[in-house]
Amino acid sequence: MRPPALSRAAAGASRLLTPRAAWTRPASTTSSSITTLTTTRRAQPNLQPTTASRARAYHASTHPPPPPPFSPTETAILSAAYTHVPTHGFSQTSLALGARSAGYLDISTNLLPDGVFSLIKYHLLTHRELLSSTPLPPTSTLSAKVEHLTFTRLLANAPVLPHLQSALAIMAQPSYIPTSLAELAVLADEILYLAGDVSVDPTWYTKRASLSAIYAASELFMTNDTSAGFRDTRAFLARRLGEAEELGGAVRSVGEWVGFNAKAGVNVLRSWGAPI
Amino acid sequence: MQGPPGSSKAPLSLQLQQDKQQPTIPVEQQYEAILGDLKYNKPNSAALIPVIVSPHANTMLRLAPTPSSRHALLLLCCCRSAVPATASTSNSAPTQTPITQSRRSLSSSAKTAGAAAAESQLRPLKPLTPSQRAFLSSALRVNQAGELAATLIYTAQTPPIVAREPHLSPLMRHMYDQEAGHLTTFNQLIAKHRVRPTALYPLWSVLATGLGWSTAVLGREAAMACTEAVETEIGGHYNAQIRQLLEMVAEWEADGYAVGSEFTDLIDTLRRIRDEELEHLDHAINHDAKKAQPYWLLTSAIRAGCRGAIWVSEKV
Repeated sequence: MRPPALSRAAAGASRLLTPRAAWTRPASTTSSSITTLTTTRRAQPNLQPTTASRARAYHASTHPPPPPPFSPTETAILSAAYTHVPTHGFSQTSLALGARSAGYLDISTNLLPDGVFSLIKYHLLTHRELLSSTPLPPTSTLSAKVEHLTFTRLLANAPVLPHLQSALAIMAQPSYIPTSLAELAVLADEILYLAGDVSVDPTWYTKRASLSAIYAASELFMTNDTSAGFRDTRAFLARRLGEAEELGGAVRSVGEWVGFNAKAGVNVLRSWGAPI
Repeated sequence: MQGPPGSSKAPLSLQLQQDKQQPTIPVEQQYEAILGDLKYNKPNSAALIPVIVSPHANTMLRLAPTPSSRHALLLLCCCRSAVPATASTSNSAPTQTPITQSRRSLSSSAKTAGAAAAESQLRPLKPLTPSQRAFLSSALRVNQAGELAATLIYTAQTPPIVAREPHLSPLMRHMYDQEAGHLTTFNQLIAKHRVRPTALYPLWSVLATGLGWSTAVLGREAAMACTEAVETEIGGHYNAQIRQLLEMVAEWEADGYAVGSEFTDLIDTLRRIRDEELEHLDHAINHDAKKAQPYWLLTSAIRAGCRGAIWVSEKV
């Protein structure tokens, strides 16, 4: 004989995952939410590995891509919640409104293991994936394509710009820093790949590190940018990318000079008969 | 999407079970079979080792004690297995090399006529699991690091050796050209599959140059012993990768998925490169690698260093 609280809990739990239209009992949402809040356990966190590194380690051009990090239910709630972000910001309010408009209970947002950070991660993921459909002029140089792609990604922040600083603050929380940095690294890798970079030596690392830093700085600059069409941000981005290219060129030149002189010195010694 | 039609499953899985019960031959024995007498311009014979030698090596080594008879027997196995199956599959590579033909004939010979008819439909490609992706990315990373090191070793070894023995210049040139080709291949694969290159690239560059230069200064025999040690480790390493890739492909075929040209091409490339590395190993032995004076010290130190570098490059 199940106690009434548990049976209500069971009913509440089953209602978490069925859309409102399927309910048979026209109960008032407030009382049932409170009941389920006090009696149901919080849904187990998503046990899928959150590190994207293993899933993105090898890009198989012909095989299907790896599964997305969010389950279909989570994606439904987050995509609905994302439409409320421009007005309510990255907050529980947006999540609750989103869950409601997707047809779930407000409490369904407990499905998301990281709460508001899941919404931020959804924002980062969606805009990164949209980059692959950005049209690029085929004749431009690598640096022009990188600037174009980076600015396109920055412009995607425009609708949620008033709330971006609070999003960055949430991303900077210690438990979320590894995921945020990983997302930044993956974004830099995606931009360089789409721009056509094929370097496979240490410049792979230096290019991605510098692009990550430049993107983060430009995003922060953009949160205070009030110019038309964000042209100040574009100018900032162009200046930083130009400096990075100059620095890279200088390091390469110094390396070439040192290498040439070392090899020439060894060859001169060999021509003098040294057994080296 | 969930697997082959019921009619084809029983005989194929039974065949694979029987295959799995065959004792696996250790790498050293496989090498003995390869190195004894194979001609290098017959990629079939070396390349079929993981497929042919495992079920047949015991029989082969008993029946053919001398190298030349082993060679004859291996060629016989190759000829028999290279005959294409009548129920050939329509999936994957349009250009069927003899290697892929013979491998596919080995698996398709186990299928019934009903399965052959079902196979002519297009089967989907299975998505890769995270561990498979991690394996492929670390494999390509290590291979690129290895070829980079080999290129730099030959670059550093060539001037001291050729200054003393100019007749070795064509050989050094030939080995360097092949290694440079391997490096280009892996660079292209890494860029294509968006694999992260090894972070210790500058360290391996310095160490490889130092190793090549120091062994060349010690003498021609020491340089050849260095080549022998490196190529032995690399050959075993490539064999392990090829074996793992073949297991992946066999699993897909057992579950009824298609095998794209991406993987058949990768396996063929690795086989070709493995054969060329073993060719270098033989050249080194033919040029007095075994006569290097602290032979055991040189080879064991270099082999241990290679194993350590491979282990580190897989992770970092």
